[in-house]
Amino acid sequence: MGRYICTVCGYDYDQADGDPSRGIAPGTRWEDLPEDWVCPICGADKSMFVPEGGAETAGRPSEPGRGSGANGEENDMLVNSVVCSNLARGCAKQYLEEESGLFARLADYFESRAEPRGDLESLAGMISEDAQTGYALALDAARKAGDRGAQRALTWGEKVSRIQGGLLEKYRKQGDKALEGKVFVCEACGFIFVGDAPPAICPVCKVPAFKFNQVQRGA
Amino acid sequence: MRAVRNIRLCTKDCLCLYVCPTGATDTENGQIDWSRCLDACHACVDACPSGAIFRVPDNYPPQQEKKEEILVPLRALLAGKARQELAASAVLRDERDPALLQLALALKQSIRVTAEDLAREAGYMLPQSAAVRGFLRSLLEKERPEGFPEEAVKRLLELLPG
Repeated sequence: MGRYICTVCGYDYDQADGDPSRGIAPGTRWEDLPEDWVCPICGADKSMFVPEGGAETAGRPSEPGRGSGANGEENDMLVNSVVCSNLARGCAKQYLEEESGLFARLADYFESRAEPRGDLESLAGMISEDAQTGYALALDAARKAGDRGAQRALTWGEKVSRIQGGLLEKYRKQGDKALEGKVFVCEACGFIFVGDAPPAICPVCKVPAFKFNQVQRGA
Repeated sequence: MRAVRNIRLCTKDCLCLYVCPTGATDTENGQIDWSRCLDACHACVDACPSGAIFRVPDNYPPQQEKKEEILVPLRALLAGKARQELAASAVLRDERDPALLQLALALKQSIRVTAEDLAREAGYMLPQSAAVRGFLRSLLEKERPEGFPEEAVKRLLELLPG
């Protein structure tokens, strides 16, 4: 019997073995798994699995189709904020407190100059575009350029955008039930986990559990 | 080189206190006093049984050049992340449902982390780099709106070698 691989964390569901820890008997075919069954390692839903040896993603792109869109200047402000918050982290890792604080201040300033715009639907659309085409195209370019660092970031980011998209889809279908338990975000790669406790090791980037931040409700 | 202590890993065996020739490792805030730490000394690093002390360089090598053909798609993705974060922020501003706000906040944080990673690979990895100096200088060259923390940028240019 065949296997199905989680595109987020690499867990493989072997139909011969089932998932006895959660009441799925050995020999349970993929099609017969309940629709609400999720990856026991990372929580990805069934839509994020592919048959072993099959296509890596369902909808690989044929053309770029990325526009810069309106709202350019404000968007640039937020990009500056991202660059600065990243550098604040880079300084904190070197225990450079003053530098880290200055970059954090700049990051806050630039964020304050960018007016929020959009809604849950537009957000879901953009995330889905990244997960289906954006990262795949950039990964092709990174492979051709022989840039392994970029490939690393893009591999993580593609998985995280799939998880983001999956969570949004689950929320659309199930509402509050999609967030039952606690919500954690990996501070190294952005992986989102919903459950009682963060995974011992991040399924995407492999950092230990203490690198997860809990996102409180009503914070 | 300056020694630093990862306080989460420190198991308080205190061998660093015994071996430090200047007393720099014994401080009230758990960090090593850089005004006393000796550049070529790594006695505390060698003595620590927990691997909690390591050294951070003062100088870094020039960073790897990024090829234009990878910078273009990285920047395109980064611009997309910025739009996504602004959409998540709009949900946080406009909505009231606690679960939806929690979802938007988690997404906003997650998007920011992935965006930062793209910025790193797009050339802004190391704070002490020529690319970052160029970025900081460009901020001073542009028209600066009211409230722009100009002195923060100038101070960073003083503090960070490029």
